[in-house]
Amino acid sequence: MEATSAPPLPFHIPGGTLDLGGTPAISARGVEVRYGSRVVWKDATFEVRRGEFVAVIGPNGAGKTTLFRMLLGLHWPSSGTISVFGGPPHRGNNRIGYVPQRHAIDRDTHLACDRLVRLAYPGKGWGPGGRRRPIQWGPRFALGPEREAAARVLEDVGASELGPKSLGSLSGGELQRIFLAEALVGNPEMLLLDEPLSNLDIRRSRELVETIHGLVRARGVTTLLVAHDINPLIKCLDKVIYIANGKVATGTPGEVLTSASLTTLYGVHVEVLRDSRNNLVIVGGEDDRGEEGA
Amino acid sequence: MSAAAGPPFSWNLITDLRAMWQFQFMQNAFMAGTIIAVVAGLVGYLVVLRRSAFASHALGHTGFSGAAAAVLVGANPVYGLLIFTMFTGGGMALLGNRASSRDVETGTVLAFALAIGLLFLSLYQGYATEAYSILFGEVLGISAAGVAFTFWTGLAVIAIVALIYRPLLFASLDEDVAEAKGMPMMFLNVAFMLLLAVTISIAVQIIGVFLIFALLVTPAAIAVRLTKSVAGAVIVSIVIAATAVWAGLFIGWYEPYPVSFFIVGIVFLEYVFVRAMGALRTTALVQAVDASERDGVRTLRNAALSASASQVLFVGAVVFIAISLLTHPSALSNPAVLLGQANLGFLLLGAAAVVGMYSFLTYFSGFRMLATSSREFTSPAFFTLVGILGITLMLGGLDLYFSGVFLAASSYGLAPVAILFGVPIVLVGAVLLLLGLFGQAVGSWRVGLRYHEGTLRTGAILMFFPLAGCALSYLGYRRAFAQGARTAPLTASS
Repeated sequence: MEATSAPPLPFHIPGGTLDLGGTPAISARGVEVRYGSRVVWKDATFEVRRGEFVAVIGPNGAGKTTLFRMLLGLHWPSSGTISVFGGPPHRGNNRIGYVPQRHAIDRDTHLACDRLVRLAYPGKGWGPGGRRRPIQWGPRFALGPEREAAARVLEDVGASELGPKSLGSLSGGELQRIFLAEALVGNPEMLLLDEPLSNLDIRRSRELVETIHGLVRARGVTTLLVAHDINPLIKCLDKVIYIANGKVATGTPGEVLTSASLTTLYGVHVEVLRDSRNNLVIVGGEDDRGEEGA
Repeated sequence: MSAAAGPPFSWNLITDLRAMWQFQFMQNAFMAGTIIAVVAGLVGYLVVLRRSAFASHALGHTGFSGAAAAVLVGANPVYGLLIFTMFTGGGMALLGNRASSRDVETGTVLAFALAIGLLFLSLYQGYATEAYSILFGEVLGISAAGVAFTFWTGLAVIAIVALIYRPLLFASLDEDVAEAKGMPMMFLNVAFMLLLAVTISIAVQIIGVFLIFALLVTPAAIAVRLTKSVAGAVIVSIVIAATAVWAGLFIGWYEPYPVSFFIVGIVFLEYVFVRAMGALRTTALVQAVDASERDGVRTLRNAALSASASQVLFVGAVVFIAISLLTHPSALSNPAVLLGQANLGFLLLGAAAVVGMYSFLTYFSGFRMLATSSREFTSPAFFTLVGILGITLMLGGLDLYFSGVFLAASSYGLAPVAILFGVPIVLVGAVLLLLGLFGQAVGSWRVGLRYHEGTLRTGAILMFFPLAGCALSYLGYRRAFAQGARTAPLTASS
C-alpha cells in the first residue's frame, strides 16, 4: 500500500475566494505521515485560509482522520512541517472544536444533553492548561455564563428542545447536533468534523450541512469536514482536500474532482461522472482500499 | 448480631433512636454508616456514569485478600484493604485505557485476588469470624477510632471528587474529545480508581466485600433513572444509600439477623420498585391504537361502575371487621384471632381488591383511548396502572404478614422476617393505591372539563370518599357519553 514515487501534483492551487487576512488557518509543507513503518501519505503541501469550508474526502484508510489527529496535536508528521494558525499544533488547543467519528452514545446514559455541552465550556480558575483551558476543573460557582452559552449554541444548531433530554435517548442525527453544539460552545476558530454525515439519510445530511454551513459562515469559522459522499456538500464548498493512494490533492471541487486529476492522483484510470442533477460519481481507484479507520 | 439489651420497639421512633444511641457502638455504627453512605452515593454516581461497576466489584474482591493479609500479620484489616485495593485499582487503570476493553483484565485480576485471599485465610489459624466480617461486613463492630478514620478518609475523597469531577465526567462521556482537549486521561483514570479503592475500603467495614455492589452501585443506578441532572442524581443516590443504612441499622437492632442483609434488602426493594415504575411508565405512554373518544368515555363509564362496586365491597369488609373487633377486643392484639373472627370480612376485602383491580384496568384502557386525541390523559392512564400495582402489593403484603403470624405460632425461624417485610409492603401498596385513585380523580376532572360536565368534576373531588365519588362519576360519564353521542364525532380540543 506504500505510495510509489509520484511526480509533483500538477494541480496545487492554494486558496479559495474567501480571505480574512493574516496567517493561513492551516499550512502544510512537504508533510509525510507514518504509522510505524507504514507511510500513510507524503509530500503533502497545502494551505487552508481562514473561514474556508473544506471537504476532506477519499477512500477508507487513506488517512483522513490522521490529518485531524495531526491538527489536534495527537500525531506528528515524520517529516515536513504543519502549522495551525501560524504555530505548531498542540493538544488542548482551544481554537479548535472537534467532533470525532463515532457511532452512538450508550443507550443507558441518563444525563441531560445540555450538561455535556456545558461541560465543554472553557474553564477558569484552578487546573492545568494555562489561562484559557479547554474545560473547567473543580466546581463552578457562577453557572450563569455557562448556562447561557450552552442555551445559545443549542439554539444555533437547532437543538434547543433536545437540551433537557437524556443523551441515551437521542437518534443519530440529534446526537450529531449535540456534538456540534459541544464543539462550538467554546467559540473555536476552526471546526474539525469527522464523518458527521455517516448514518444519516440524504435529507438529514442536507439539513445538517445547511446548519453547519450557516453557522460557520456567520462566525467565520474555518471548517474541515470528512465525508464519504461529496454531493450533499458541494454547494457550500470552498475547497476539497482529496486524500488517496498516499497522496494529498487540494483545490476547488471543479479542479480536483475531474477525471484527469484523479487519474493522475491514483495512477489508474478514474472516471468522474455527473448525473442530470449535477451529482458526482467517482468510478474506479477506490477498489484496492478497504481498511477501516486510520 | 442484634443487641437485644435495649427496650422493645415502640412506635415512637425518636424514643427508639434515643434508646439505641445510649450505646456507644450504635452511635459509632450510625455515624460511620452515614459517612459511608454519603461517600458511596457520590462515588457510585461516577461508577455508574463511567460504567465501572464491574471494576468496583472486583476491587472489593481484591480488598478481601488485602484484609486477609492484614489479619494474618495482626494489623487492622482496613489498612490491608486500602493498600491492596489502591494497588490493584491503580494497576487496572494503567493496564487498560479504553473503557470497553477493561472487563477481561478486571476479571483476570479478580480471580487471582480471591485465590490469594483464600491462601492467606488458610494460613491464618484464628477464628472464621474475621473472614465472615470482611466478606459480609460488621457495622456494629466499628470503634470510635474507626469512625474518625472513616470521617477523614471520606472527607478527603469528597474534596478530591469536588476538584476533578468535571474532567472526570467529560472524559467518561466523550473520551476522544477529552483526549483532543488535552485532558490528562491517564491521570484521571488512575485518580478515579484510587478514589474508588478508598471508598470501597471504608465501605467494606459495614457491608463487606461481597455486598459492596448494593451500597456503591445500586443507589446510583436507581438515581440516574429518576433524574437527569448531575447534582440531583448524586443527592438521590446519597439519600437512598443513607436511608438504607439507617433503616437497616434500625431494623437490625430489633431483629436477630445481620444488618448487612437488611441494608442490601432495602436497596434491592427500592431498585425493583423503580424499575417496575419505569416499565409501567413505558407501557402507559404507548399511544393507544385507533379507538374513538366515544369508546373511551363508554369504557370509563364501566370503570366508574366497577369502581363503585369495589368500594361497596370494601366498605362492607371494613364494617364487618370493625364489628368483629368490637365484639372481640382481644383480637386487636392477636392478628390470628382477628383473622379467625373476621374471616368473612377478609373475604369481602379480597373481592373488593379483585373488582378494584378490574376497575383500575378499565380506567387505564379508557384513559388510553382518550389519550389518542389529547395527551393530557396519558398521566392519568399511568397512575391507574400504579393503582393496580398498589392493590397487588397490598394483597401480597397482607398475605406475607399473616403467613408470618401463623408461622410464628409454630416458632418457624423466618416468621419475624415475613412480618417485618409484610407491613412496609402493605404501606407502600396503600400509597400506590392512593396514587391510583389520584389518577382516576385527575382523569375524571379532565374529562369533566372537556365535556363541561359538572357532575363528573364533583365526582372527581369526591373520589377519595368511598361510594360517593365513583357513583357520581358513573352518572357523569353516562351524561358525557350521551353528550358525546349527540355531537359525535367530537373534535380533538388539544
